[in-house]
Amino acid sequence: METTNQNQVNVFGATLSRRQFIKAGGVLVVGGSLVGPKVLKGEDAKPTTLKNSLDASLPSSWIEIHPDNTILIRTGKNDFGQGSTFTAYPQIVAEELSVPFEAITTVVQGGTDCTPDGSGAFDFLGDGMPNIRKVAAYTYQALLDLASERIGVAKDKLTVKDGIVSGGGKSISYGDLVKNQQLKLTIPVRGNLTGIIGLTVDGNPPMKPVSEYKVIGKSVRNSAITLKVTAKENWATDVRLPGMLHARVVHPKTLGSTLVSAGELDKSKFPNSQVIVKGNLVGVVAPTEWEAIQAAMQVAGATKWTEWKGLPGNAKLYQHLRDEADWKSTPVMQGHANKGNAESTLAAAAKKLSATYQLSYMKHAPIGPTMAVADVKADGTVHIHTHNQNPQQLRGEIAMMLHTTPDRVIVHAYPGPGHYGRSNGGNAGAEDEAVILSQAVGKPVRVQWMRADDMQWSTQSPASFSDVQLAIDEKGKMTAYQIDHYMPAMQDDRLIGAVLAGLPTMPAPDVHSDFITSTMNNISDEWVYAPVPNVVERGHGTFQVGQRASPLAVGLRDHSMRTPVQFQQNYPRELAISEAASLARADAIQFRIDHASEERAIGVLKAVRDASGWDTRPSPRPDAVSTGSTPVRGRGVSLLYRNLTYWACVCEISVTPATGAIVVEKCTFAVDPGIVINPVHLKRQVEGGAVMGIGHALLEEVMFDESGVTTDDWNSYPVPTMADLPEIKVVLLHNPAVGKYGGGSEAANALAAPAIAAAFHDATGKVIRRLPMKPTYVQAVLKT
Amino acid sequence: MATINVNGVRREVQAPGDTPLLYVLRNDLELSGPQFGCGIAQCGACSVLIDGKEVRSCVTALSEVTPNQEITTLEGLPARWAKQKGISAEQAKNTLHPVQQAWIEEQTPQCGFCQNGMMIKATELLEGNPNPTLAQIKVAFTTSGLSPNLCRCGTYVAIIDAVKHAGEIMAGRR
Repeated sequence: METTNQNQVNVFGATLSRRQFIKAGGVLVVGGSLVGPKVLKGEDAKPTTLKNSLDASLPSSWIEIHPDNTILIRTGKNDFGQGSTFTAYPQIVAEELSVPFEAITTVVQGGTDCTPDGSGAFDFLGDGMPNIRKVAAYTYQALLDLASERIGVAKDKLTVKDGIVSGGGKSISYGDLVKNQQLKLTIPVRGNLTGIIGLTVDGNPPMKPVSEYKVIGKSVRNSAITLKVTAKENWATDVRLPGMLHARVVHPKTLGSTLVSAGELDKSKFPNSQVIVKGNLVGVVAPTEWEAIQAAMQVAGATKWTEWKGLPGNAKLYQHLRDEADWKSTPVMQGHANKGNAESTLAAAAKKLSATYQLSYMKHAPIGPTMAVADVKADGTVHIHTHNQNPQQLRGEIAMMLHTTPDRVIVHAYPGPGHYGRSNGGNAGAEDEAVILSQAVGKPVRVQWMRADDMQWSTQSPASFSDVQLAIDEKGKMTAYQIDHYMPAMQDDRLIGAVLAGLPTMPAPDVHSDFITSTMNNISDEWVYAPVPNVVERGHGTFQVGQRASPLAVGLRDHSMRTPVQFQQNYPRELAISEAASLARADAIQFRIDHASEERAIGVLKAVRDASGWDTRPSPRPDAVSTGSTPVRGRGVSLLYRNLTYWACVCEISVTPATGAIVVEKCTFAVDPGIVINPVHLKRQVEGGAVMGIGHALLEEVMFDESGVTTDDWNSYPVPTMADLPEIKVVLLHNPAVGKYGGGSEAANALAAPAIAAAFHDATGKVIRRLPMKPTYVQAVLKT
Repeated sequence: MATINVNGVRREVQAPGDTPLLYVLRNDLELSGPQFGCGIAQCGACSVLIDGKEVRSCVTALSEVTPNQEITTLEGLPARWAKQKGISAEQAKNTLHPVQQAWIEEQTPQCGFCQNGMMIKATELLEGNPNPTLAQIKVAFTTSGLSPNLCRCGTYVAIIDAVKHAGEIMAGRR
């Protein structure tokens, strides 16, 4: 323990300070301090950070230890159904502090005025080192320093069990260590609070050895589930402010229409309603929700827009992407695994596969359409109540829209319908519209998108295609692999209300290297077949479809969605690898094992082979059939590495050639995330992701014409129902030697599509290289 | 003005008769169980029980509901169970409906937004048949109502586990 002055102690780079002794209560609060002078970019972010988020004496610390031995934790990450903030996070903190799970009685999440680190509801565990773990590790060291001082025993002679520090025959609880004191631990952080990644805890405090884990690995329950099933949850949809008006937005007729004239309100029918027009943004507000809905429908019918036809429509989409999209302006991205000389190897190949794979536009499709309540006060302060993955970034974006500073924007975070990435860059769609309307009427306004608004005016996961070439030698080895991925910009975080109203927001996607709004298409699919000697992976990017033709600069706006980019890159790769195995007359699992060197990749493949009862043989099956009305069966496999987690999946399907109908009968997953923190919750996440993945594989395709998205409800955008549910088997491979926590909530949705497509080939002998595998597309392939 | 019976309590509401029941329940009566998912009876997030039958409150006008009909929302499930089992009002306050218990035991919800409708549908099913087969459960959640009950998080395995679990509690087998 190094004492820097009378009241400050250096704890592995963090600073423990005692502000004063107090008569009652007491607390140890743990907050951050910024390292380096240039970490906050721009003038605007500073007041935010200093005023609301980093002074641990304000209620924005990561951890508070109270005299009654209870502990509170705070995280900028907002739960979207992963449950990590209520299960894994308190488990990690309890583990590092050596307290029981139950000691962590409160989890505060998301809100910009009550959490410290920003960032989005993604990658909760994927880097293996969430902020909260390091914070807890620093805190543990500080508590040992305090205990050492208090009971007069050297720090390295102390042990801790269940929050009681013991040594030299004496012991003291954490609660007693903080009693009657105001202690503050300031830990080093870096980053940009209102950026997409938020702040990151710096330094390297010692961590508890994995071999001593007691809380991690247990299936503790998610406390939020209890609130939700007993109707005690405070959802974003429940927010009601005094004087609040309900609003609906009349969105433009097409993705390129500008307003000719807003419809006149029929005051005889809707005496309490009001139409607000700002640029091309038309809103209708009313004291009751039902009047707002009806009035908005009446106004929508009377509103005139310019016509616009600037989209290729579904039928011409891939031809448009191939021949008309601008792939030249954006630099081509190269994969990290590129090596050797694929071109010459391909030219001399004994056997060669050359194929193109196509993926559809898909919607995040939250089960509830986006909504938000905004309250723009007379003094310019803005309060936003919403369900959002990245409240701090939303705050920055709203401040930009209103020409104000982020400290005057407060985002309150609530639970809501998961939307799988749509708002990880700061907005889900309705927040900025609510702000604009609230500012216009001087009252709190609740904007609720209807189902059609959410299907037609939200962002979507972009369509893409990939060209693959690979070579197989005489011995059945893959000697070259080359893939070119083509995808429009995936991360458009512009505020749609600001775009329509003509207010400032970030620029439309363009050619630059910033993550947000870049047209660059990075290689995201981790290469897992290291022994292949010649590898080329290239990413080609372009503008969003219709973006530059639209007078609104809108077009088909895209946004990252569950397992983004990697989904689009792993599907063509894994289906191509299954096809390569067939070319080599090899079994698809054994072929992958033979081309992998990483033990964990081989481990999940062997585990999924055993658990699924896989019969080792080449595909297609000897009796494959591509005609008739009798269902034929097949099975396929896929492999993926993401966020430190290895995944393998086997799908068993039946195909009825006459109808083109595919039924997934069984899915088996093997998952190695390194350390399994909560087995039950990981299993539930995999099951759910599997179902979503079946939707991506078989059902989900955004339909659009030359003017806009025609998909507008659950009939035109079908997602899996319980009738589509196969038997799902999940094998969790707890692998503590990895020493880290891999992400397990996300990537399960990416495994099904390539495994189902490979199973289709196994069953029919035909290859379908297009998602979704709708009956009409299936039938077209079977006729070839 | 209309009178409706919600969770065993008669309520007077001022909303026009053509107002969908969903908005009456959420905005006038400040109940948070039923959720707005689609407004066109395609998802089930807004479901309530009316006289034990699962109904989509987003397409049910206030005027269609008579004062004698019993509306049960997620909030009313514990009292409904208590009444069915003859549990005293005092005890009922600390009771959960077996469906709610099972949804917790099985850790069913992810985002949870659709689960109101899932629990309402499960209650309707299990009150008639506490020991449903897998096929019967799938029918209940797909073809028995105006549309399938949709879960975008894909929690169907966990829902089936919880329905079976709840049925066992309701039938006294657990």
